[in-house]
Amino acid sequence: MKQKTITQSMSWLHTWCGLLLGWVLFAIFLTGTIAVFDKEISWWMQPELAQNELDQAAASKTAQRWLEANHGNAASWNISLPTERYPALAVSTGEQRRGERTHLDPLSGEVLEPRDTAGGNFFFRFHFTLHMPRTLGIWLVGFAAMAMLVALISGIVIHKKIFKEFFTFRPAKGRRSWLDGHNASAVLLLPFHLMITYTGLVIFFLIYMPAALDALYGGDRNAMFRDGRSDAAQQQAPLGRERGERQTQSVPAELLPLEQFIAKAETHYGPGALAGLLIDNPGRINAKVTARPLLGSRIELTKGEGMSFSGVTGELLQQPSPSRPTLLTQRVMAGLHFAQFGGYPMRWLYFLCGLVSCAMIATGLVLYTVKQRKQAKGSRALLNVTERLNIATVAGLCLASIALLWANRLIPVELAGRELWETRVFFGAWLLSLAHAAARPVFVAWREQLYAAASLCIALPVFSLLDGLALDSTRVALEVACVVLGVALAWLAWKIPSRACTAPLVKSRPARLAGAEQ
Amino acid sequence: MKAPLQLWPMMCRILAAILGGYLFTYCFTAALARLLPLDRFDAALVASLVSFIVYLAAILWVFATHSLRRVALSLLLIPPMGLIGFWPQLIGTLG
Amino acid sequence: MNLIALALSLTLTYAGMLMICLGMARHWKQLTSPRIPAELRRACVPTGVLFLALAAYTCSFVWDTGMAWVAWFGMSSLGGLMLLMLLPYAPRLALWLPIGGGLVCVVLNLN
Repeated sequence: MKQKTITQSMSWLHTWCGLLLGWVLFAIFLTGTIAVFDKEISWWMQPELAQNELDQAAASKTAQRWLEANHGNAASWNISLPTERYPALAVSTGEQRRGERTHLDPLSGEVLEPRDTAGGNFFFRFHFTLHMPRTLGIWLVGFAAMAMLVALISGIVIHKKIFKEFFTFRPAKGRRSWLDGHNASAVLLLPFHLMITYTGLVIFFLIYMPAALDALYGGDRNAMFRDGRSDAAQQQAPLGRERGERQTQSVPAELLPLEQFIAKAETHYGPGALAGLLIDNPGRINAKVTARPLLGSRIELTKGEGMSFSGVTGELLQQPSPSRPTLLTQRVMAGLHFAQFGGYPMRWLYFLCGLVSCAMIATGLVLYTVKQRKQAKGSRALLNVTERLNIATVAGLCLASIALLWANRLIPVELAGRELWETRVFFGAWLLSLAHAAARPVFVAWREQLYAAASLCIALPVFSLLDGLALDSTRVALEVACVVLGVALAWLAWKIPSRACTAPLVKSRPARLAGAEQ
Repeated sequence: MKAPLQLWPMMCRILAAILGGYLFTYCFTAALARLLPLDRFDAALVASLVSFIVYLAAILWVFATHSLRRVALSLLLIPPMGLIGFWPQLIGTLG
Repeated sequence: MNLIALALSLTLTYAGMLMICLGMARHWKQLTSPRIPAELRRACVPTGVLFLALAAYTCSFVWDTGMAWVAWFGMSSLGGLMLLMLLPYAPRLALWLPIGGGLVCVVLNLN
């Protein structure tokens, strides 16, 4: 039996891992990249909201006034304070269904009714669930992430000239150019690719690899969480609400003005570093105000953390204590993936790196078809299917994504369930892309779909110009970014040849060397 | 179309890599968590975070190894590691 | 947000990658005229490493330590990629870009 060398077996592994999971990975990476700006996208998708000057203290006063007037007897209040990324005030109460929030004008307290929208959150959720039932989606994404790691390492192993060709890019040379492009986007951003894939797995480590949890805690997650809190935290009362509290102490007492809790929390978290307030048992003697921090003052993911005060006396009940080193490591890794730190420059760095990752996957997928096209032997059927799936995934997803933004503007505001209709447009556009890719000749399909996506991107600002809807820096930036991306897509479409390049590879290379390369 | 004879070793490798690799990693992680001289929580976390690299290494190894027999033999490592990881639970069910 | 430090970091990471690129024989021949003595090539990689180290320093003025390293990796990678894209299409621009970046820093400093 002919034995394969390491290079040959790794090459086989890289090709098949990359091809079979490449389509899923492109979807994961594209939606993840878009989700970097999820809050900005949500803001753009609710043009009824206007950007006022950020004043969290005034907003909290407005929210408290409104909540006391309209929901004085609620078991809990939740206030989302205006922040730089999403300068809107929203409140919800314990009785409301999860996710239902009321938007208020931060100054006047008037109830605002922005349109129901899938928002940027659609891309965020799609990124780690692929719009499937949560657990199934998470598992599928995890499987794809492992395949990505396998493809990355096997790719490094087989790339013999990794240092020599570090800065090499030879355009307009057919297969050579595609390989150069794939190598360049992969090698130069290798730290990013490895980091983002590994940290993605680390976020859900208890789901993907519960072995240690099962062995040491018998699978009891709560026991593990309790163990994980540092000793100082264990001495404080638990942050979560205790069951009996609501029924027992129902003595009414006045809730202190909420601005002072903002001020108190800012002494710990820093100015402008709060995201919201959670008030348990408002108007009662056991009222508790928890200030939630804005993610991003440090890399460590501080989701779910908060500072708690007595709502009546203002005394500090609980503050976050520094995590123990191992937990800190996991939370820093999760934070590296969530990319909520470092302000807008960091966010843009992540966005650009994400786009390059998408390019790496896309060039890999196309490279496969370019290689297969040149081979005399080889399954024509497999090549055909691969070509169509490539178009539907790469061009199709771009098209579907921009179609979602268009749907947000075109679907009537009053239509019930318009959120669902927006996502239907997304998937409808994607399905259309698949049908189009199957029906048209390959290069024509690529060109038409890329031009379509480019047109939608470039024409996006037309809504703001025609409707005169509220413009602010965030919305303008989003539209400018879309136009730039649209121009890039149009350039790509323009570069696609009218038919497959049948010219042979550069003739000067001796034939025997061509086999040793990839 | 490949002859079934050539397909079978490939399928075995794929199954060994994906399923065998996961089982290997699961038992390795449990064993490591139990053996690490750290607090219970720290040991669990360190072992879990390292597990993905172990899984990756296992998959790559299955495909890099020439002989399928060696791959099959490596699967024999799984029960002892599982034993190290889960001996309290095993004693509990037996007792 | 320290804009000058940000602009400086971007310029320095790109310049660092450019110098490392010039240290490679094939790119030295591609980018430099034959009049420049070939011995200077040996100084390129150390210079590039120095620029990258300086970039790490300037990053620390924009972000806290941990975040600065993350940003440094991102900028170096993207700078290298931009260099790679410019080399076949606009090699002269690739060479002069750090000068342009430096000018931007000077302008920002004056404001």
